[in-house]
Amino acid sequence: MLARIEYALRETWASFRRNLTLTLAAVLTSAIALLLVGATFLIQRAFENLLVQWRGDVAMIVFVRSDASPEQVALIDGTLRAAPSVIDVDKLRYLDKAESYAEAQRIFVGDPVTLSLLTPESIPTQFKVVPITQDTDLVRSLADQYRTLPGVEAVALAEDEFEVISTLSGFVRNVTLIMSLVLLAVAVGLIWNTIRTAMFARRREIEVMKLVGATNWFIRIPFMLEGLLQGLIGGVVSCAGVWALNSAWSGGVAAFKPGTGISSLVVPGGYLSGVMLVLLVLGAAIGAIGSAIAASRFLDV
Amino acid sequence: MIKLDGVTKIYGHDTLAVDDVSFDVAKGDFVFLVGPSGSGKSTLLRLMSREEVATQGDVWVAGRNVCEMPPSRVPYLRRSLGNIFQDYKLLLNKTVFENVAFALEVIGKPRHVIREQVPFVLELVGLADKSERFPNQLSGGEQQRVSIARAFVNRPLIMLADEPTGNLDPATSEGIMSLLQEINETGTTVVMATHDHRVVNAMRRRVIQLDRGLVVRDQERGVYE
Repeated sequence: MLARIEYALRETWASFRRNLTLTLAAVLTSAIALLLVGATFLIQRAFENLLVQWRGDVAMIVFVRSDASPEQVALIDGTLRAAPSVIDVDKLRYLDKAESYAEAQRIFVGDPVTLSLLTPESIPTQFKVVPITQDTDLVRSLADQYRTLPGVEAVALAEDEFEVISTLSGFVRNVTLIMSLVLLAVAVGLIWNTIRTAMFARRREIEVMKLVGATNWFIRIPFMLEGLLQGLIGGVVSCAGVWALNSAWSGGVAAFKPGTGISSLVVPGGYLSGVMLVLLVLGAAIGAIGSAIAASRFLDV
Repeated sequence: MIKLDGVTKIYGHDTLAVDDVSFDVAKGDFVFLVGPSGSGKSTLLRLMSREEVATQGDVWVAGRNVCEMPPSRVPYLRRSLGNIFQDYKLLLNKTVFENVAFALEVIGKPRHVIREQVPFVLELVGLADKSERFPNQLSGGEQQRVSIARAFVNRPLIMLADEPTGNLDPATSEGIMSLLQEINETGTTVVMATHDHRVVNAMRRRVIQLDRGLVVRDQERGVYE
């Protein structure tokens, strides 16, 4: 058993070095494909921060002054519920101070200055309003009406803040997703080709191995390990790339003026580690797939 | 040890290589398959090592029907066979020692077995002093000895030799034949395809003559006609 493992590792390494140019091409392509996949994840997550307060078809947010009395809050609630033909009253949601503060922590994740000015006591509470009607003018006129209610600090409309970003986010997601899928396929193809070339270069050895009774798995495994290694190295390189990109981006964002919204576009460290883990697994997977196809198809060289 | 029963092999749609061939080879036999090029000698050897599968009929090797063997069992069949060829099939980037060791290595034999067996078998074929040479530093006869050492190192039950003297001069061929005879005397069954008159006539062993895929003669202590 030990002899077999030693043999497989030795052959993998030897073949890896022998085909250095092709191997580098395969590794770099997988790294770039994976980097794009990682960037897609990060961009989506960053946009999500910005969009979190509009999640669930919310089209209007009525912010209530932090010092508003319970009677004033009840009055606002009553006024909102008095328009059931425009507002979906079942989905009407009131976020108290604790909930609003939790949400703000996500929105201002990259903006510590603004975040430090907020406390669970001083934060405005909010009503999330989901309209029934498609008539945006009607919603807008209601918003103007609500602004005049006592205790209301401000009324924000999704139309003004959310839709551009939402459309942009969807577009960026589609483009990066398609590009990364295409590049992943290219990476599998390149690893497949590298392994096929390696097998062709060693066709005499493979012929002799079959002749003296080596099993197909014994012959295959060094080649499959080689592909796996290529994918995995691509994964490691892409992790470094994603980390560098994210650091540069977060640093850049921190330089923006507080409260511009741009500052929401950063991701927490835990999420970044998760993405890196996904990239490593994905890299190993494309290596394994590419080389497995090659090793099973070209054993009869 | 080997039994062919009504074996027919057709390549592609209509190239008849072997036509309803039946014969038995007992354990320890030494058999020549003779006949002109294209008479089906090599095909018979390839059927025995299951590099080809018979179109019809059964091929039994060492008690197993190789035609019905699942592909996953074929490597284990090959471990009981030793193959040698006209072109030696040595790996040029490996030394003599490494070429022979390779055969043990790829079937997962531990290193101490390799260190013990390889020098022993190189001694047997008379190449103990050349174990660190590369194949292209050896003569044709020496290269064939390496290939015999590689085929024999795993102590096969059967040796299948396809024109092993095809590229060698008469004196060298004689040396190879006496080596094969020595191996045969250890109890290994030898089946050798050849069209070398001299070796067949010198050995006087069983001769199976083929012509266009048919057995036309099967004679104990025969000669090449």
